[in-house]
Amino acid sequence: MTTPKTGGIKGFESPGAEYTQSSLDLDSLLIEHPSATYFGLAQGDSLMGVGIFNGDLLIVSRALKPKQGDIIVANLNGEFVCKIFNIAQRTLEVTAANTKPHRIAEDDVFEIEGVVIRSVRLHKPLKETFSVRPG
Amino acid sequence: MVVLTNNDGQVVALCGIAKRLGLKKFVPYFQAKDQLVAAGAIVRSSNYELYADLSQRMMDTCARFAPEMHIYSIDEAFLFYGGYKPPGQTWYEHARLIRRTVWDEVRLPTGVGVGPTPTLAKAASHAAKRINGFRGLAVIDGDTVRRHVLSNMLVTDVWGIGKRIGARLNDLGIIDALTLSEQDPRRMRKRFSILVENTVLELNGEVRMSWDEVRSPKKEIFSTRSFGNRITERAELKAALAAHAEIVGAKLRRQASVAGAMMIFASNSPHDKTGFQRKSTHISFTIPTSDTRALLAAISSAMDQLFRFGIPYYRCGVGLLDISPMHRQQFDLFHPTPDDRGLMACMDSINGRYGRNTMHLAAKGFDQKFSMRREFLSPQYTTRWRDIPIIRCE
Repeated sequence: MTTPKTGGIKGFESPGAEYTQSSLDLDSLLIEHPSATYFGLAQGDSLMGVGIFNGDLLIVSRALKPKQGDIIVANLNGEFVCKIFNIAQRTLEVTAANTKPHRIAEDDVFEIEGVVIRSVRLHKPLKETFSVRPG
Repeated sequence: MVVLTNNDGQVVALCGIAKRLGLKKFVPYFQAKDQLVAAGAIVRSSNYELYADLSQRMMDTCARFAPEMHIYSIDEAFLFYGGYKPPGQTWYEHARLIRRTVWDEVRLPTGVGVGPTPTLAKAASHAAKRINGFRGLAVIDGDTVRRHVLSNMLVTDVWGIGKRIGARLNDLGIIDALTLSEQDPRRMRKRFSILVENTVLELNGEVRMSWDEVRSPKKEIFSTRSFGNRITERAELKAALAAHAEIVGAKLRRQASVAGAMMIFASNSPHDKTGFQRKSTHISFTIPTSDTRALLAAISSAMDQLFRFGIPYYRCGVGLLDISPMHRQQFDLFHPTPDDRGLMACMDSINGRYGRNTMHLAAKGFDQKFSMRREFLSPQYTTRWRDIPIIRCE
C-alpha cells in the first residue's frame, strides 16, 4: 500500500522510509482474497493454448464462482486436474488438438477446487525446489 | 485414520471408523501399532503447520462477517455483533452464509450457533453439532428453541461447567442444562461460585462474560485482540504480540502445561478498501515450553515474516498449540529443557500479587532447532512451496 505523494515539505522525513514504503509486494498485486487462495504446480502440456505450460505455478482462488470458459482446478476421480470448464456443455476441455473434451459423467467424482486466476512461468529455476519435478 | 501427537508419541485423534474399531485416544503409538497395521489404518503425524494455516484461513473468512471476533481455540471463534444485525437476512440465513463461505473458500466443515450471550451461542453450537434436527446450524432466538436446546444438553455440556462441578450439580438432582438455568442464581453463587451464577444468568439471556475472564480451553490457548488505533510501526506490533505472549504464557503455567507449537498472526481489517493483508507464522518448539522468554524469542524471529511497512494493522494475536501437562513431559537427553521454571514461577507470583505487567520481559535471541520426530507427516500443501500439489494438465 503506497501513500500518494503530496508536494511541500513536511518536517524531516527519513529518505530511507520512502524506499520501504514503495517496495512492491507481489502478493498484494496478484492475490485479492489471501484466505481463499491456494497454489499448485502445473504438470503437462495440454493447456499451452491458454498459456499454461509444464512447470508453471498456478494461483487458484476459491473465492470466485466459476464462469463459462474459466480455467479451473478440480478433483476428477481423485486427481487434481486443470481444465477449461464448459458449463453449458458440462465438459472439461483442453487446448491440445489431439484431446477430446471430457463429458462429466454421473459416476465421475467431480468437485471444483477453484478458479485459476494467474499462472506464473518460471523461466529460470527457483532456488526453492519442488518435491515432485514436473514431467 | 489416526493422528499422532508431536514426536509421534501417542494417538491424539481418531476418525469415526477408527473409533468404532475400539481404538482409543492417548494410547502410546508403539502399543497401538499392531492393531493399526492389522486394521489397515492410515497413520499421520501432527501437521501443525497445515492446521495453523487452515485455522487462520477459517478465522480470516469468519472475521469478514462481524464487527468483532474473538478466537477461542484453533477451531473455534466467537463473532460479536453488538447492536449490529446483518441487513436483509435472518440470523439463520446469516449463519448459513458463514458456514457456506467457509466451506467454499477453505473446504472445512463447520457448525454455527447463534445466541444472545456467549454461553447460549456455545449451547447453540453444541446443538448444531450434536442434537438431532439441527444439522450444523442452530439459532437460539426465542424461548421455545432455548428450552428445547437446553433440555437436550447435560450440565457438563454447558460451557464453563467442568466435570467436578457437574458431578456436584448432579448430586443436587440438576442433570440437564434447562434445570440448571432454572436455579436461583444467588443460591448457585453461595453453593458454588460467581462463575456458576454467571453461567445461570447467561443461560437466561443476560450477558455476564467478559473475554478477560473467560477460561481458556485446555488444548489450545489464544490471545488476540483488535486495536483501537491502527498500528503501523514494527516496534508497536512487536510490543502488542509480546503482550499476548505474556498472557498466554501465564495461562499456560496456571494450568501446569507446556506448549509444543505456537502461531503468531497479524492483519489489517478485512473491510479495508485497500484489500485484506494477513500474515501468519508457525513455530515448533523442539522441547515443549512454558517459558515466556521462549515465546518472546519466537515472536522476535517471526517479525520479518509478519511485518510489512504500510499496512495499518487492525488485529494481531498468538496461539499456543500442542499443549500437554508439564508432568507428563518427556525429556530429551540431547536437548535439556531451556526453561527456567523458578524464574517463571517468581514472575507469575509477582504479577499475581502486584497486578499483571508488574514484571515482564524484553525479548532475546532465538535459536530453536527443528528436530521433531514426524515420520508420517502429510504434505504441508499450503505453507511449504515444496509441498504444493501437482495439478495435471494432461
